[in-house]
Amino acid sequence: MQRFEHHFTVMGGPAGIILDAYDEELALAAITAVQREVTRLEAKYSRYQPESLASRINRAAGKGDAIRVDEETIGLLDFADTLWRESDGLFDPTSGILRRAWDFGSDRPPRQETLEQLLPLVGWEQVHLDQLTVYLPQAGMELDFGGFVKEYAVDSACKRMQQMGVTNALVNLAGDLAVIGTQGDGRPWRIGICGADHQKGAVSRIKLVGNALASSGDYERCIELGGKRFGHVLHPATGWPVQGLTAVSIVAPQCLVAGALATIAMLMPSQDALSWLAEVGLPWLAIGSGNQSVVTGNGMGEAQKTPPCRQGGAVMNSVRSSAADTAAYQASRPIPRRRAWHPSSR
Amino acid sequence: MRRSPTASLLAVTSSALTLPAYQAARSDAPPESTEMGLRYSKYREDDITSDNAFGRGSERMEVDVAQFHLFTPIAREWAFALDVAWEDVSGASPWFVGESAGGDANVFMSGPSIRDTRTAVSVTTRYYYDRGNAGLNYTRSDEDDYESDAITVDGSLNSEDGMRTYGVSVSASDDTLDPTQGNTPTSTLGAEKDIRSAWVGVSQIISKRAIVRFGLSYTYRNGFLSDPYKANDSRPGTRKEWVLDSGYRHFLVPLNGAVQLDYRYFDDDWGIQSHTLDIAWHQNIGLHTRLIPYLRYYTQSESRFFANLVDFNDRYYSDDYRLSAFGAIATGLRVRYDIRDWSLSLGGERYRTDESWGAFSGEESPALVDAWRVSFGMDYSFR
Amino acid sequence: MRSIVFCVLVVLGLSACETVQPWERGTLAKSEMQWHQDVMERDIRMQVYNSKEAASGGGGAAGGGCGCN
Repeated sequence: MQRFEHHFTVMGGPAGIILDAYDEELALAAITAVQREVTRLEAKYSRYQPESLASRINRAAGKGDAIRVDEETIGLLDFADTLWRESDGLFDPTSGILRRAWDFGSDRPPRQETLEQLLPLVGWEQVHLDQLTVYLPQAGMELDFGGFVKEYAVDSACKRMQQMGVTNALVNLAGDLAVIGTQGDGRPWRIGICGADHQKGAVSRIKLVGNALASSGDYERCIELGGKRFGHVLHPATGWPVQGLTAVSIVAPQCLVAGALATIAMLMPSQDALSWLAEVGLPWLAIGSGNQSVVTGNGMGEAQKTPPCRQGGAVMNSVRSSAADTAAYQASRPIPRRRAWHPSSR
Repeated sequence: MRRSPTASLLAVTSSALTLPAYQAARSDAPPESTEMGLRYSKYREDDITSDNAFGRGSERMEVDVAQFHLFTPIAREWAFALDVAWEDVSGASPWFVGESAGGDANVFMSGPSIRDTRTAVSVTTRYYYDRGNAGLNYTRSDEDDYESDAITVDGSLNSEDGMRTYGVSVSASDDTLDPTQGNTPTSTLGAEKDIRSAWVGVSQIISKRAIVRFGLSYTYRNGFLSDPYKANDSRPGTRKEWVLDSGYRHFLVPLNGAVQLDYRYFDDDWGIQSHTLDIAWHQNIGLHTRLIPYLRYYTQSESRFFANLVDFNDRYYSDDYRLSAFGAIATGLRVRYDIRDWSLSLGGERYRTDESWGAFSGEESPALVDAWRVSFGMDYSFR
Repeated sequence: MRSIVFCVLVVLGLSACETVQPWERGTLAKSEMQWHQDVMERDIRMQVYNSKEAASGGGGAAGGGCGCN
């Protein structure tokens, strides 16, 4: 069995495919199919591509004409609706415009009147959605698929490869990843999860077989005010950041589900989030505010000392038996959710 | 959060699972790329020897064939196929068999009088659903003296686990003969022929590397079924045929190749039974080359009304060698070479017949035919 | 009729097969594992054989004829 790796940039972040196969032709075809699938989803749902479906929906806001969309888009919007309900409205695909008011990295919060101008344009409940069309009723409203499309792309890419007959592979889009089967030699895929301080290395190492891992975190996009640290997750009703966990990683059969649950956890106050994560029942890892405490549950691998990862985020130790522990694979930066969509969002 | 966390997990998961990426694997989908191909073939029958023919030996048939093939996805669930074939036929064919001065059955050829072109156009639209696909095909074949219009409908259904596929197809063909060729008298000035056919089949995955199939078909032919160019040919006006077909494919990883076995049993109400066994080995060499040697064995029994020297008092009679008992062995080799989106193929086949190779005994026809075929082609696929 | 009985028996016998998961079907998807992997080659072979032999058909419904047989 031979290992094939391919790295590229998509959706504003690094992407990687690792594939173990006997058949080079199959491997190359699968890698091409994955890149094509992910690029297709980016071209369809990126807010930053003027010709994308997302941009067309946003341009039509308040103009009176609903945009006809396909089955896949309806499915994603229905999924967003479920997330909105399950998070009691905290996850809101229309809240992206609030980020215009915030300059993360500076030490000044936006002026309250700026926020108040934007708030009326936020509200998933206002969106007209039926089984064929979507319509944003107010000019200036924006729909952002960025909160879940990357995870969906990971799953869709895996599905494509499985259909082609790939049995051992890993797809990683900026830290959200899924694996097919084991590594070619039968060992589980080994993934390291890094905390805010990348130099300290992975805070946890996990083994994955035919599962997905998604993370939601805001190590970098934050603002400190009067000693209080505010993350990038904004409350859709107030426009102010939610004070919760710094990062959450979840293992689930689907990357989309792992990502969604991690997002919901990030929107809760820290203590609520931890007990909620424990009850959901999936393996999870949370980094508390202040980047200090690492808490895991439901069978997620315990924190352990590992070699430092240069860039941080999830580090996959996708090692072949011959190249033991030397070939640490740089998986991703800890790109915050919903800002990981495109470089210009930073 | 008012809902329990496990309820949230359930809600989120079930909502996710309705998305296309989580639907049960669609084992049937249109092709991802468009395939186009051109093929040129030359088919040439060996001259008939003077031992078997009246007078001197004679050239037999020679056919030049050009084929075009297109198969393309046209929407998420649809594909379209177009196949066109042009044939240029020339030469002579057996006119009748008579008794030579020495008492042997000798064939009298029609003389180098045949010149015909055939154009066949076949269009298929195919719809792919979650568990199979269905096709509608129309084929028109046009010759100077023969026209055929045929419609075929087929469908397949995969079992829940995708391990088994059931298939069915039915076809109807209306053919018209208008014998105008050559300078030999014909037995009809114009006639009709209808063909109705149905097939059911099943294929089954038996391991990661092997798959098998079986099928059964019935064909009913009705109309003028004699050969208008043969002097001693009077056949029944109907023919009922049963065919049992089976196939096996097995990939052998250590050899990087696959064996293809196909067997067909044929039985009709003219008294003809036949066995056909086709064995091919597909050997991959490196990433670009494939070598395909194959061997085909065919044998048939003679028709109830076949005789070299026919009795005109019989209701039905024919001296056509194609209704005699014989065995045939075809050996061929094809080479395929892929470069990027292109694929080149080259093939040659030798077809030989002999009464003694057959599994059924019968009178040996003097008109049995041997032939060569060579083909050259290229295919192109793009997205 | 003999053929029908044969066919049914074989199919029943097949139901004992071990399930091959969709992601394990990569080999089965190879072109050399298809029933017809070269449509033009199949067409011309059928055309040539049908013009010289009494038996025809199999693998699907018979379709149209040509003047060659």
